[in-house]
Amino acid sequence: MHTPRRAVGGPREGERMKKKILCVDDSRTALFMVTTILKKEPYEIVTAHDGQQAVEVASAERPDLILMDVIMPRMTGFEACRELKQREDTKAIPVILVTTRGEEENVETGFASGCNDYVTKPINAQELLAKVRDHIAN
Amino acid sequence: MKDSRNGHGAYVRKVQEGTQSFTHDLLGEMERLHVLVASLQVEKETLHDKTRGIQQVLSANEALRALAASLEAEMNRLHEQVVTLRAANERYESEHARLSAQLDRTRAESQSYSSRYAEIETQNSNLANLYVASYRLHGTLDRKEVIDTLQEIIANLIGSEEAGLYELNEGKQTLELIASFGLGPDAQRSVPLGSGRVGQAATSGEIFVAEPGASELDGGLTACIPLKLDGKVTGAVAIYRLLPQKSGFEEVDRELFELLATHAATALYCTSLHARLRAQEVAR
Repeated sequence: MHTPRRAVGGPREGERMKKKILCVDDSRTALFMVTTILKKEPYEIVTAHDGQQAVEVASAERPDLILMDVIMPRMTGFEACRELKQREDTKAIPVILVTTRGEEENVETGFASGCNDYVTKPINAQELLAKVRDHIAN
Repeated sequence: MKDSRNGHGAYVRKVQEGTQSFTHDLLGEMERLHVLVASLQVEKETLHDKTRGIQQVLSANEALRALAASLEAEMNRLHEQVVTLRAANERYESEHARLSAQLDRTRAESQSYSSRYAEIETQNSNLANLYVASYRLHGTLDRKEVIDTLQEIIANLIGSEEAGLYELNEGKQTLELIASFGLGPDAQRSVPLGSGRVGQAATSGEIFVAEPGASELDGGLTACIPLKLDGKVTGAVAIYRLLPQKSGFEEVDRELFELLATHAATALYCTSLHARLRAQEVAR
C-alpha cells in the first residue's frame, strides 16, 4: 500500500489537534502548489498521486478533508469520490474537487459523485484557503 | 266685717290668680327654655361634630404640609441629582464622541490593515506560484521531467491546456516544436524566426501577450514567451487558448512569464548539459 508523504512531517507534540488534509494530484507541480499554500496554515498534509491511492490513504489516515484533482490515472477524482462516499469509514470526510474545467456539466458531475465543493485551476490561494477553512470548520 | 272679709278674699283670689298666672307663665317660660335648651343641645352637638371635622381637616392639612415639605425636599434632592446627572451625561457624551472618533479611526485602520492583508495574501500567493515554478523547474536534470513540469506550470499555474515548446535551430534559423499538449496535428512544427507572432517574439526577445478579445490570429495564440539564456533566445513557449474560467492574464502570469523566460531556458540547458556529460562518461 502507498505510504502517504507528510508535507509537514509526522504529528509532533502539540500537533495532535492539527486538522489533517489529504491532497491528491498526479501532477507534482500542482501537488507542490497546493501543499505550499496549505502549509501556511496549521494543517497536517498527507498526499496521494491518484484516485486509487487516495481511497487507500483516506481509509488509513482518516483525514479531516480531501482535496482531489479530477483528471488522474488509474482512478479519476470523480470515481474516487464516489468510492469514498460509499465506504462507511470515509463517507463523512468532505471532498473538494480541483477541476480544470469549471463548466456546469463538470461541476454537476462532481456534485453527483458526492463531492462537497470544488475549486478550479489555476488555483486561487485565498479561495482555496477559504473553502478549506469552511469545510474543516463544519 | 263682711266687707273686710270679702275684700281679703278678693285679694287672696287675686293673688292666687296672679300666682297661677305667674306660675302658668313660668311654666310656659320653662317649657320654652326646655325647647331652647334642647335646641341648643342639638346645636352644640352639631358644632361638636363640625369641630371634630375641622380638627380632622386641620390634622389632614398638617399631614399634607408635612408631605409637601417632604416632597419639596425630595424635589430638591432630585433637582440636585438631575444637575449631577446632566454633568455626568455631558461627560459621557464627550467620552462617547471621543470613543466614536477613536472607533472610526480604528475602523479605518482595520480597513487599511484588511486591504494590506489582502494585498500581502495576493503577493504571497503570487510568490508561491513563482517559488513553485522555480523549484519544480530546477528540481531535476531530466529533460522529459522539465518539459512535463513546464506543461504542469502552464496548466496549473497559468491556466491553459494548449501550449507548444519550441527550441531554436540556429543552423536553420527556425524554432522547432519539441513538445506540445492540447494542440491538434495541424500545430506549426517549424516556425522561421521573424515569422508570425511566435517567430517575431523569438526575434525580438520580448514576451508577447495578446490583448483581451483579440482576433484569433496564429491559431488563437494568447502569449508567447521567448526562452533566453544570457540574453540570447534559445526557444519559445507558445500558449494558446486559456481555460474557460480564466478570463485573461493577470500580473502574476506576467511575472511567471518573466520567470519562465529565463528559468525554463536554464533548466532545459542544464538537462542538455547533463545529458552530454552523461554521454561523455558513458563514452569513456
